[in-house]
Amino acid sequence: MLIGIDVGGTTTDAVLIEGDRVVRTSYVPTDHDNLLSCLLGALDKLVEGTDPKKIERVVLSTTLITNMIAEGKTDPVALMLIPGPGANPKDYHLGLDPIVLDGAVDYRGREIQKLNENQIKLASTSVASKGIQKVAVVGKFGQRNHAQEIQAKEIISKIAPGLKVEMGHQVSGQLNFPRRAATTMLTIATKDHYRQFVEQMTKALTQRKILSPVYILKADGGTLPLDKSVQMPVETIFSGPAASIMGVMALTEPGKTSVVVDIGGTTTDLALILDGKPLLSSKGAKVESLLTHVRAFAVKSVAIGGDSAVNLANDCIAVGPGRMGPALCMGGPGPTPTDAMRVLGLSTIGDASLAEKAMADLGNKIGKTSHEAAQMVIDSVVEKIVSEVDQMFLEWEQEPAYRVWEIMKKETLSAQNVVGVGGAAPPLVPLVAKKLGARAVVPEYAPVANAIGAAVARPTMTLNLRIDTEQGKYYVAEDGLSGKVSGKKMDLEQAEEMARKLLVERSERLGIGEYAKEAVVTHSEIFNMIRGWSTVGRLLDVRMEIPAGILPSWGRGC
Amino acid sequence: MAANKTGLIFFPAFDWAISPTHPEREERLLYTRDQIFEEGLMDLPEIEEYKPRLATAKDIARVHFCVPDVEAQITEAHLIAAGSVLTLADALEKKDIRNGFALVRPPGHHSMTVVHGNRGFCNINNMAILVEYLRTRYGHKRLAIVDTDVHHGDGTQDIFWHDPDVLYISFHQDGRTLYPGSGFTNETGGPRALGRTLNIPLPPGTTDEGIHFVLDNFILPVLKEFKPDLVLNSAGQDNHYTDPLANMRFSAQGYAKLSEKLAPDIAVLEGGYAIETALPYVNTGIIQAMAGLDYSHVMEPDFVPGRFTQSPDMVREIESTVQELQEIWDNRDLLVENALAEHGEFYRRRKRVFYDTDMINESQEESVRLCDDCAGYTTIESKAQRGYGMLNNVFCISIPRHACKSCKADARALFEEHKEDHRFDFVYMQDKSSDKYRGYNVRTRNEKNY
Repeated sequence: MLIGIDVGGTTTDAVLIEGDRVVRTSYVPTDHDNLLSCLLGALDKLVEGTDPKKIERVVLSTTLITNMIAEGKTDPVALMLIPGPGANPKDYHLGLDPIVLDGAVDYRGREIQKLNENQIKLASTSVASKGIQKVAVVGKFGQRNHAQEIQAKEIISKIAPGLKVEMGHQVSGQLNFPRRAATTMLTIATKDHYRQFVEQMTKALTQRKILSPVYILKADGGTLPLDKSVQMPVETIFSGPAASIMGVMALTEPGKTSVVVDIGGTTTDLALILDGKPLLSSKGAKVESLLTHVRAFAVKSVAIGGDSAVNLANDCIAVGPGRMGPALCMGGPGPTPTDAMRVLGLSTIGDASLAEKAMADLGNKIGKTSHEAAQMVIDSVVEKIVSEVDQMFLEWEQEPAYRVWEIMKKETLSAQNVVGVGGAAPPLVPLVAKKLGARAVVPEYAPVANAIGAAVARPTMTLNLRIDTEQGKYYVAEDGLSGKVSGKKMDLEQAEEMARKLLVERSERLGIGEYAKEAVVTHSEIFNMIRGWSTVGRLLDVRMEIPAGILPSWGRGC
Repeated sequence: MAANKTGLIFFPAFDWAISPTHPEREERLLYTRDQIFEEGLMDLPEIEEYKPRLATAKDIARVHFCVPDVEAQITEAHLIAAGSVLTLADALEKKDIRNGFALVRPPGHHSMTVVHGNRGFCNINNMAILVEYLRTRYGHKRLAIVDTDVHHGDGTQDIFWHDPDVLYISFHQDGRTLYPGSGFTNETGGPRALGRTLNIPLPPGTTDEGIHFVLDNFILPVLKEFKPDLVLNSAGQDNHYTDPLANMRFSAQGYAKLSEKLAPDIAVLEGGYAIETALPYVNTGIIQAMAGLDYSHVMEPDFVPGRFTQSPDMVREIESTVQELQEIWDNRDLLVENALAEHGEFYRRRKRVFYDTDMINESQEESVRLCDDCAGYTTIESKAQRGYGMLNNVFCISIPRHACKSCKADARALFEEHKEDHRFDFVYMQDKSSDKYRGYNVRTRNEKNY
């Protein structure tokens, strides 16, 4: 049996799955100050009377890291940058003043300026004297040559052995130095808290005699063994929306282009599934004000929901973005879309006469009946959602491309399904779907789609391999691995083979080896390096991914 | 969106090359990509990255007589590079951006009005296509092009030679020492447009100091006087001290400062072939300067300020060139007056054009009607030869925007007349007054319309 638990904004939902059946669901209210107890509370309610030996897999999706960052409860971090030539580090929006070190590596990983040992020593002493215990060391192009980051770490550790140091190249190998700096800072700032959570969770599960593998859900809809995830706590941000999207994948027909609409009280989260594949944000997630390298689904939050305040502006009805309180029909202070839905008979939530009053008052001010006013409110909500969906498709089509064939293929997609999850979805989704010319789908288990998504999500993994045959070197972006290659004339096929081998090894290290066969090459490129009139080497880049997907045992959906 | 952003189109055409070892090959902007992506420039709130659209054949026919037709002279990469420039033009006109940089290849500034093939790595002229688009679509009248590539932009010069409303200023390495061997101070424009083409040949070895002297003492004051609607920059990067195809000593800092002072509304990449030692740094600097960011940290690994100095002779040479040009500029209206008095109804010139990439020799005879009521129609008779074989013999007619009745009628009559003239393979009509473009195949009697 599989267990999925998702910590949501208001409730923590759990499901127990046997084969392709949901056999039990449970929920407890979310207590943001004690996520561990909510997880365990929902778990205990769920497995009451179930033999723990029958549990094959537990997947958690938690807001731990998201909350910690949002509430500023992360550990203080000193950021040491080795930027070399280029932008002024002050132009990066990193939220703190970085310590700028001498030293530089260029775009091909060649050292172009040496580190200044004394400068690092002074900086380390100064950091330690301020009582800061965590340091992020990040070099521009550090992913193409780790030597300076490692050297800096050694110097820091010698001078101030108490400092914990995280190096940029071990956090991400993607191009984009400021994002790597931000991701490295967040990693070291949350690592200890997260490790504590993992230890407590593991202990609690052992006490309950649940000895099955335990996974955590990542922002890209993939799972990662809980014990391995302590290396990359930031990957677990935004696992809530990821759980919903994976749930929709599990509960709807595969291979379709769908819009996932999660309508809550004050926000509506929108996501796209294109030809059956959830759309990832092109560069990485934005965490509060920081841009990171964390792979995450492209989720757009629109400030509109069932409890949004309805206002009048120049005799026009405006919904949101603020919230005054609950809907009038639920005892709140003013009119909301929930009241409008009640008046139009789209829902049965709340007191009908209060809802009628809310819309009648609104209608009076603009010379409309309560029914007409309610219709205007709903139209406004639907229109807002539809225009945001159109915008998302447009943005996807307008993603920059750097090759002739990519520009020429001119793909356009439109929604086939509009899939609703979340409280206000059932009444509104058919209206949104109609406007988009798509089919409305509200899956059977929509209220616990998130927990189902967590339960049946399979692992994901990415591996970026870069080979520079002129220098005879290769680098793996994800874990800072590098080594030597021989022969100047490696071709793409050989590079892809090498990437596959490295991916298998990495997946085994991460405890997800059995999924390595699902890996696909998602990008590969080769450049001949010409100097003078002859070829001196080749640059090859291969990206392989185990994409987000659903466990095969879940017969529906995928 | 507030218009305080810099629009950027990065189109490195990673799958397009003239030939595998040609300087204009896939690898050219690879290290530039690494640098600007690693800098995270596209994430900055000051910068908005755009996806290019495709230019249409009509956008190209508005500028060029492509032989035998537009489709034969271009690849998809050319449509994307030209389309990038137009995408930025639209964003600028919509005020979505305050300026824009098309960091794209292939380049264009050696492509002339008539196109028989590729010359100087160029088939179609992105900058000229931009200018004609800005005029047709958005009604701009006066535009200034500043060409900061190390090579003389002979294509752009040719296209706007007779046009007093387009100021073309180019500084470049002296044509006696570098391709294409033109761009001397005495090339100043057609009789109607004398002094609106200004060439500043610079001695090999000119440094940041020399180029900034020219900029401060000549280019910027001239621009101020000309009062263009927009300033456009053909932003070649081969004045760099490491460029393998030229001999100047300009640095990334020099280029960034130039972009800041010139403050072009739209900049378009032209040449620049020091793909590792210059382009990553120069492009970063230009983007930062255009976006109002601090570029003082951009520096080549082997550069130290004060590394290059100019000899007193060089300084004197540059000063005297500027002085000579200043006189031309100051006397431009008088020069035009005198020229018009000297010529009759038609002004004619002959010239030869060599297409280095495609080894084509072209000879041309151009004729402009010096009309009192409009800019006058132009005809070009052009013969192209490759080796000993004749390629094509074509007759081209161009009707200007706001052409007078009589010019339109005469030009149209010439077109009909030449359609029957079997000395020619193709006859073209570029009617800018109605934005209609025709190409007629004399043998097959097929006509192509754009």
